[in-house]
Amino acid sequence: MISHRLKDRLIDTGLVGSLALLLVFFYIPIITLVAFSFTSSRVLTLPIEGFSFEWYGELFRKPDFLPAVANSAMVAAVSTVFATILGSAGAIAWIRYRFRLQNAFRLVTFAPLLFPQLLLGVVMLLWFSVLGNWLGFSTGLATVIIGHVVYITPFALVIVAVQVYGFDETLEDAARDAGANGWEVFREVTFPLLWPGIFSAAIFAFLLSWGNFYVSYSLAGTARTLPIFVYSGIAVGSSPIYPALATLNFIPALILVAFGELLRRRALKRQSMPSTEE
Amino acid sequence: MNIEHKTWKDPVLIAVVAPLAIVMLVFFLVPLAMTAVLTFQTTQYYRLVWTWDLKVWTEVFSKPHYWTIIGRTIVMAIVCVVLCLLIAFPTAYALATRLKSYNTQIQIMIVFAFLTDAVLKTFGWILVLDRNGVANWMLGTVGFAPDSLDILFSPAGAMVGMVYNLVVYPMFTLYLSLVRIDRDLLLAAYDSGASRLRTFFEVTLPLSRPGLYSGGVLVFVLSLGAFLEPKVLGGGTSPLASELIRQSFETRVNWPLGAALTIVLISVGALTLALAGLLAMKRSPALRRRAA
Repeated sequence: MISHRLKDRLIDTGLVGSLALLLVFFYIPIITLVAFSFTSSRVLTLPIEGFSFEWYGELFRKPDFLPAVANSAMVAAVSTVFATILGSAGAIAWIRYRFRLQNAFRLVTFAPLLFPQLLLGVVMLLWFSVLGNWLGFSTGLATVIIGHVVYITPFALVIVAVQVYGFDETLEDAARDAGANGWEVFREVTFPLLWPGIFSAAIFAFLLSWGNFYVSYSLAGTARTLPIFVYSGIAVGSSPIYPALATLNFIPALILVAFGELLRRRALKRQSMPSTEE
Repeated sequence: MNIEHKTWKDPVLIAVVAPLAIVMLVFFLVPLAMTAVLTFQTTQYYRLVWTWDLKVWTEVFSKPHYWTIIGRTIVMAIVCVVLCLLIAFPTAYALATRLKSYNTQIQIMIVFAFLTDAVLKTFGWILVLDRNGVANWMLGTVGFAPDSLDILFSPAGAMVGMVYNLVVYPMFTLYLSLVRIDRDLLLAAYDSGASRLRTFFEVTLPLSRPGLYSGGVLVFVLSLGAFLEPKVLGGGTSPLASELIRQSFETRVNWPLGAALTIVLISVGALTLALAGLLAMKRSPALRRRAA
C-alpha cells in the first residue's frame, strides 16, 4: 500500500510541478524585460552591469512615444465601450433568447475568435481600401477602432455569457412577481447581477485593444499605436527603452486584471452559494 | 435558466441582436466576400483594375514557391498544436483538480500574462533566447555548456514564441471540460477496482475530448496567421504564409495576389474546422441529435 501512496504523491508533485513550470515559462520574458529596464548599459545581454533609470527618461524623450500612448488610450477606450456593450447584448441573445436564425447569429458573432488576427486585419484592410476609394477616406484610427471592435467583441461576449449562464433567475421572477415591468427587472435585477461579468469583460477588452498589434498594424495607415511604435522600433534595433516601456505597461495592467478577476469571482461565488446545481 | 422565445417582431430582440449583427455583417462578412471578389481582379502599374480574370489564381496554382511556404506554415501549425496540447493538458488538469486554494491567484497570473502586449512579450523572448541571454545563463547554472541553446532567429525560436502566445487557448478549453467532470464518475471507477491510470484513460481522457479538440483546432487556426513570432524570433530565413501575404500587399502592391493567398489560408483553416466539427459529431451522439 505504501507504493500506492507513493505513486499518488508522485502524480500530485508532477501535476503541480508542471503548473509551476508553466508559470515560469509565462513569466520568463516578462521578468526579463523588467530586469533589463533598469540596466545602465545599452547592450541587452547578461550580465546586467549596473542599475539606472536613464532608459525611462530616454523613452519619454522619444518624440513619437507620447502620441502613440495617446492614440492607444483613445482607441482602447472607444473600442472597450463598443465591444462591451455589443458583447453583453450578444451574450444575452446567445444564452437566454431563442429566435429564428439564432445559429447564424451565433456563428457570425463567434467567428472572429477563430480567425487569425493578421488575416482579419488584411480582409478588413481590403474592404476599407475599396470603400475608401469610393467614398474618399483613408485608413486611420477610426478604422483601427472598428477592427478592434470586431476582434474583441467575441471575447467580451464569452466572458459575459459565463455570467449569464451562472445566473440565479429566481431573483428575476421574484421582481416580476412584485410587479416590476421588463425594463425595471433589467435595470434593478439583471444588470446589477451581470455587472461583475460586464466589468471584467470591459477590462479584458481594454487590455486586448491596448496590446493589439495585428489588427492595428493592418488598419492604422500612417497613425501609430503603442504596439506599432514598439514593433517599428525593434525592427530597427533593440534598445533598453523597450524594456522600460514594457515595465511601465505591466503595472496598471496587473492591477486592472487582479481587480476585475477578484470582483467577478466574488460575485460568482455569491451567486452559486444558494443553489449549487445549474 | 429563463429561456425567452422571441420573434423578429419583438423590438427588444431587434435592439439586442441587430447592432452586433450589423457590425459583424458589414465589417466581417462583407469584407470576407470582398476579398474573394478581389482575387478575380488584376493590377496594372500598382493600380487595381476591375475585370473578371483568373490570372491571379493561375499564378497561385502554378508557383510551387507559394505552396512550399503554405506547406511550411501548416507543418509549423501542426507542431504548435502538438506542443500546446502536451503543455496544456497536465497544467489544465492540475489547475482543475489540485491547488484549489490558490486557483484564483494562478488564473489571474495566467490571464495577465495572456493580456500583456504581444509585441513586448515577443521582444522579451529575444532577450531570453539570446546567446548571452537568460535561458543560456539558467542552463549554465545547472551545468550545461555555455551557448548550449542557440535557437534565436531559427524556426525553433519562432515556435517558442508561437507556443507561448497560443498555449492559453487550449488551457482554457481543457480546463472547462476537466472541471465539469463529475467526481462521482471517478469514484465509481475506483470503487469498481480500476487503477488511477485506467480511470484516467477510460473516464477522464474521453470526457476531456471536447476541450482537447476545440483547443487543438483553435491553436491550429490561429497559428496559421502567426506573423510576429516568425518575423521577430524566426529571423526571416524561412518565411511563413503571413509574411508572404504581407509582402504581396506592401512590397509588390499586388492586392489580388494577397487576397488570393489570404483566401487559400482561410480555406485551410475553415476545412480544418469543418473536419473537426464532423469528427466531433461522429463521436458524440448528443451533438448529432442536436444538429438534426
